[in-house]
Amino acid sequence: MKGDMYFARSSRQDILERAECGGAVTSLLKFALESKRVDAVLTVEPKDGSRFDGIPVLLTEPARLIETSGALHCAYPNIARFIKEYLDGAFDLKVAVVVKPCDVRAIIELAKRRQINTENLLLIGLNCVGTMSPAVARKMFEDDFGINPDDVIEEDIEDGKLTVRLVDGTENQRDLAELEEKGYGRRDNCRRCEINIPLMADIACGKWGTADKNTTFVEVCSEKGDDLVNEAIKAGCIEVETPDSEAIEIRKEKDKVARELALKWQERDFATFKQMTLDERFDYWSGEFSRCIKCYGCRDECPICYCKDCYLEADRGLVRAGEVPPEIMFPFVRLAHVMDSCVNCGRCQDVCPMGLPLACMTFMLNRELADIFDYEPGMDVNDLPPLRTAFNEELAMEGVELR
Amino acid sequence: MTNSVSDIAEADCVFIIGSNTTEQHPIVARRVIAACENGARLIVADPRDTQIATMADLHLSHRPGTDAALINGMMKVIIDNNLHDKEFIKSRTEGFDEIAGTVSNYPLDKVEEITGVAAADIEKAALMYGRAGASSILFCLGITQHTTGTDNVKSCANLAMLTGNIGKPGTGVNPLRGQNNVQGACDMGCLVNVFPGYQAVTDKEKRANIAGIWGVEDLPGEIGLTIIELMNAASQGKIRGMYIIGENPMVSDPDLNHVKEALKAVDFLVVQDMFLTETAELADVVLPVASWAEKDGTFTNTERRVQSIHKAIEPPGEARADWEIMCLLADRMGYGDLFRFGSANEIFDELRKVTPQYAGMTYEAIAHDGLQWPCPDEKHPGTSILHATTFARGLGKFHAVEYKPPAEQPDEEYPFILTTGRILFHFHTGSMSRRSEMLDSEVNEAFIEINSEDAQKLGIKNGSMVEVSSRRGRLNTKAVITDRIIRGVVFMPFHFAECAANVLTSAALDPIAKIPELKVCAVRVEVK
Repeated sequence: MKGDMYFARSSRQDILERAECGGAVTSLLKFALESKRVDAVLTVEPKDGSRFDGIPVLLTEPARLIETSGALHCAYPNIARFIKEYLDGAFDLKVAVVVKPCDVRAIIELAKRRQINTENLLLIGLNCVGTMSPAVARKMFEDDFGINPDDVIEEDIEDGKLTVRLVDGTENQRDLAELEEKGYGRRDNCRRCEINIPLMADIACGKWGTADKNTTFVEVCSEKGDDLVNEAIKAGCIEVETPDSEAIEIRKEKDKVARELALKWQERDFATFKQMTLDERFDYWSGEFSRCIKCYGCRDECPICYCKDCYLEADRGLVRAGEVPPEIMFPFVRLAHVMDSCVNCGRCQDVCPMGLPLACMTFMLNRELADIFDYEPGMDVNDLPPLRTAFNEELAMEGVELR
Repeated sequence: MTNSVSDIAEADCVFIIGSNTTEQHPIVARRVIAACENGARLIVADPRDTQIATMADLHLSHRPGTDAALINGMMKVIIDNNLHDKEFIKSRTEGFDEIAGTVSNYPLDKVEEITGVAAADIEKAALMYGRAGASSILFCLGITQHTTGTDNVKSCANLAMLTGNIGKPGTGVNPLRGQNNVQGACDMGCLVNVFPGYQAVTDKEKRANIAGIWGVEDLPGEIGLTIIELMNAASQGKIRGMYIIGENPMVSDPDLNHVKEALKAVDFLVVQDMFLTETAELADVVLPVASWAEKDGTFTNTERRVQSIHKAIEPPGEARADWEIMCLLADRMGYGDLFRFGSANEIFDELRKVTPQYAGMTYEAIAHDGLQWPCPDEKHPGTSILHATTFARGLGKFHAVEYKPPAEQPDEEYPFILTTGRILFHFHTGSMSRRSEMLDSEVNEAFIEINSEDAQKLGIKNGSMVEVSSRRGRLNTKAVITDRIIRGVVFMPFHFAECAANVLTSAALDPIAKIPELKVCAVRVEVK
């Protein structure tokens, strides 16, 4: 049942040998596919063997799954958008999807907007304490680690350390905080992210709390997840043990430490803006947006932007056509449309050719709104975004009308 | 570029001249912004107040075509203030005395008169550039599309060498190439005077070597005709057939009325293109080609980085990759044996043999991030900064450059300077971007930018139609009144075939590079 926790590992030798943490995720995916719970598995694999170039793959052959095992810290394709655009929102296809917390939260936001059918999804959540930009990571490995990035076969972020394993079997470790002071390490949205265990998925898998390298800690988060894990155990696909209270405590503690670190990063990154007056803030952002070249990259990459007919486009008459930088309504409309629902995936900032700190701004406002409305985006399909939802009692107030 | 795109972020001073960087090279602009965020100073020289100019610490609005005078003035200030890099000049260059003599004739009051830029600003720019630890020069077609294009590029090189800003991170003379693979096309010898790798066609030994690799007895050793010369020859009946690949001269070339006459004069015209362009419409045969997403191969970008591309979808209809068409054509001409290529990969193997700069590159090595030439052997990591220890010719040569005015100057009849360029929303002749509904909804017609004082004098209202004429042609277009362009200069984008700015422009050529003076011609603007 929901809340059940397991130490799990694959029962199959080939998966145990190849996969990380005992291969429980690979085995569960394989079981989901073989038992026809799903038609396909959506996951990420290196393109042409490069860990720095991960692409989404839709697999229907159970045998292919083993090739996708292992975490890629420098690959974060837009999974939510992929489901919406290329799998037609999974309305006619049952898919098991391997997701990080921000992926599943974006999927939930799209489900609220009727763009994805989560009924057809089996969400296999992976714990995440952050991803790294491929370009930054390559440079970091070359300049700071003094290694050839193409020799890396595994990265691991644990207890404030970034460890990489190389093809020759050696390991290389650096202090994550020190790396991040130098501008390396995780993407800055990831540093600020408080959600490490994806409890909004059907199961949440990770290594926190496990004592050895061949075990996955699995928490069941839904009935669908419960069915998958129980039936996989019955079918002999995975072996499980019950974690003791110490293991559960360790997992909780690691999550807490990661959350506290994220809050510190938020405080630090938001401090400049928080100490500004509203006028100063407006001037600051107007200045930043004077660099905007209206490429629509932020909109096109945002996992939750979904309108077919976008207000920002020239033929809608809201933002004057053909002007660069566009008038301030351009970024502001986008902000108004997504800030209550931002899942802090950081993509808007990643793709901005002008390097505007969009993720920082949107997430800061999102945190302020989260406090005001007591609302956290991407947690539950039934929690509706506060800036686009009116309750009956609100509509009954004098002067309030819905247009 | 002598340096690399990411390298710009390490500059202490960035001097941009003749480049609308945010609109035309946004990814490069991001590095410029990164440099500024790291504390670098930014100087932009442009007659228009472009978006990048608004970000600059100093914007020099010089008159089009006065670049060499401006740079000579800056060099004089640098030498007068003893900011030149004596050690670099002594060990790495030659010809300093001559250039020092030349620039001494460019006192700032004279330069102010030529360029229209206040002497104090020129001095400020020179000191900013000269005092910075590492200074980078970025330039684009605003420098090259002049009858003095070659001189202008030499001036940029002079300024960099004078201050030792070559061969080190954050420095360099960095032309920004305007198309994704124009560097690659040049590298492959799509020029009139060289084979792949810039090996002169007139060099007998190199010719023999390449002929050997290609399996032929000899190769033509005469320098060919450049594009404008070609059009002139065609209109004179000296060229009877023409084969145009991936180019739309009916929109991009100067003096379009003349281009049309030339293309109509040839007996046989083949155009190989993705779309039925204005040029293709004049062709006897049109060969449809695959787009970038429909073929394999490599692109070489502005920082000399060779990158592989992978086919994502099949080409539509009868379209094929350019190389496939060439092979089929060779076959029909009886040379099929020399063109037996089965894939882009096989062609790459051959071009490595012919192009010394690419010799060390393998398809596998360029798979992920590409490699920057020169890359002479397979162990070589590629070259991110050129001329680090020595120049190609040994010592770097200062070329003393005297300011020469553009071929056509404004006069009573044609009182304005017309300068042309691109805008963010369209690409070059619009053959691709104007077929995008979204881009065309941003801007779907030509316009002319005119200074508000000039407009007032002529009684032109914002948005009203004006007639623009030059010695070569005339057109009607919409006036955009702005303070973001200097008085006496008007600007038109050239993307719009139905109202093509190049009807007006002049085909006067740079004597060496034979590039036409698209950035300066004299026009008259009248209320319709």
